[in-house]
Amino acid sequence: MEILELKNVSKRFGDLEVIKDLSFSVPEHCVFGFIGKNGAGKTTTMKMILGFLAADQGEIRIFGERVTYGNTKTNRHIGYLPDVPEFYGYMSPKEYLKLCGEVSGLKKGIITERTKELLGLVGLEGVNRRIRGFSRGMKQRLGIAQALLGEPRLLICDEPTSALDPVGRKEILDILSLAKARTTIVFSTHILSDVERICDSIGMLDQGKIVVQGSVTEIKNNHRRDVIRLEVAIESKVEQVSKELMQMDFVSEIKINNNKLDIQITNAGQAGMDILGYLVQQRIPVLRYELLEPSLENVFLEVIG
Amino acid sequence: MRGFMVFIKKELLEQVRTYRLWILFAVFLVIGMMSPLMAKLMPEIFSSLDMEGLVIQVPEPTVYDAYAQFFKNLTQMGILGVLLVFGGTLSNELARGTLVNILAKGLPRRTVLLSKYAAAVLVWTAGYALAIATDYGYTVYLFPNGGVANLFFSLFCLWLFVCFVISLILLSSTIAPGSFGGLILSAVALVVMLMLGMVPKAGRYNPVTLASVNTALLEGAKSVSDLTITVSITVVLILSCLIASILIFEKKKL
Repeated sequence: MEILELKNVSKRFGDLEVIKDLSFSVPEHCVFGFIGKNGAGKTTTMKMILGFLAADQGEIRIFGERVTYGNTKTNRHIGYLPDVPEFYGYMSPKEYLKLCGEVSGLKKGIITERTKELLGLVGLEGVNRRIRGFSRGMKQRLGIAQALLGEPRLLICDEPTSALDPVGRKEILDILSLAKARTTIVFSTHILSDVERICDSIGMLDQGKIVVQGSVTEIKNNHRRDVIRLEVAIESKVEQVSKELMQMDFVSEIKINNNKLDIQITNAGQAGMDILGYLVQQRIPVLRYELLEPSLENVFLEVIG
Repeated sequence: MRGFMVFIKKELLEQVRTYRLWILFAVFLVIGMMSPLMAKLMPEIFSSLDMEGLVIQVPEPTVYDAYAQFFKNLTQMGILGVLLVFGGTLSNELARGTLVNILAKGLPRRTVLLSKYAAAVLVWTAGYALAIATDYGYTVYLFPNGGVANLFFSLFCLWLFVCFVISLILLSSTIAPGSFGGLILSAVALVVMLMLGMVPKAGRYNPVTLASVNTALLEGAKSVSDLTITVSITVVLILSCLIASILIFEKKKL
């Protein structure tokens, strides 16, 4: 079942069209990475999903229920972690979660139980000081706890890792990996290594549109540009190798950089055998031979470039 | 209703932990103590000043002077205190984004507004009661002779006026942006109403009258029936401010 569905959504701020005819959907029980550069419209899209901003056109559905601007009932399914979550600084984490639980209408026993469990999950158990003195990472972790409190079926995280140092980022990603078991996660970011770590499928947003969508492996396969990187031990041989490889009919292009050759081929399986065969036959010593994997970063730069 | 009580509790906790409640209570306590005392001591203060031969005749202070001082202090210091303490109640939350988590949990926006209003009126009423109790004690002690007319109604008029000011703050906060937007806009609105208050005859329709007519009521120069229309208009204005602020807030970008 599609938990979240956007159909032809558009949004403009004055003359600036931020979201243009955006459509995508997220199936239940997956981690969806919503990728785009700064200013691509990620936060705007998320705020529209939560009914905090009105869409100019199109419709957004959560479990088939339409999101309306202002007070939207669909929010009962959603846990939301804003990019910079703000709390009441005069409360302790426990008090804050209690307030959140009461506001959502949870029973007292359930609130106590889940508060304990969630503070443990995010590593804030036993922290009884006021939130005022918390670091960004701690606030982000408390943010996840409050978002998960109502056991939402959809967790929306707006750039949860962008403002954090590497340790903080790793902690947040670990927590999200754990949360993956209980809910569907939509998570926006511009940090692609985070996406590769925890997302099942992604959508890349550029100039208000989804330019690439699918599972991470699928996208990598589709954007595989078969390139073999060959590093030859003897630099004087580079010219000769390049010239002779060029004559093989599956080699379309070779770029030389010192003693490295990036060989563009059309047929990865057979070409690899033939190139290796050639190297052995000619007794050319090789430092490195690798089939270049496309990283999401390359795909991203390619599609938005 | 459940969310309403929860949020009132949160508001009160906020007032206590950010010391605003105590500051407001301190202001009201001082007003309650100082007003009758100032009235009593005024002639002595004047006589102790060396006026180089100029003699100022100050009539013997009466119970009216004590209440006049009380109302003067309340309408100046008291209302200023209320503005400063409640001016940011909504603006701050909107500017900082602390309401985002709460609203994302499905708490209706009107509940947030109404519970903020109720909590503010509750705190104001408690502070006001504190001021009245202190003032009354001192006044009875310092001016044992003589009572005043319409005391309760006069106190009620000021109470209602401040309730109106609080609703004005909420409405301003939904309109004006920034941490101080609500405070500034409501202060501007009050100044405009004060200036309109100078137009004779129009006074009956201006809520400001409720905060300026108090001593006239005590002296019996004005009666309760003179103010029925003003009280009714103020109640209508309070309700209008609340309804308008809810309507604006429900459609506000966050």
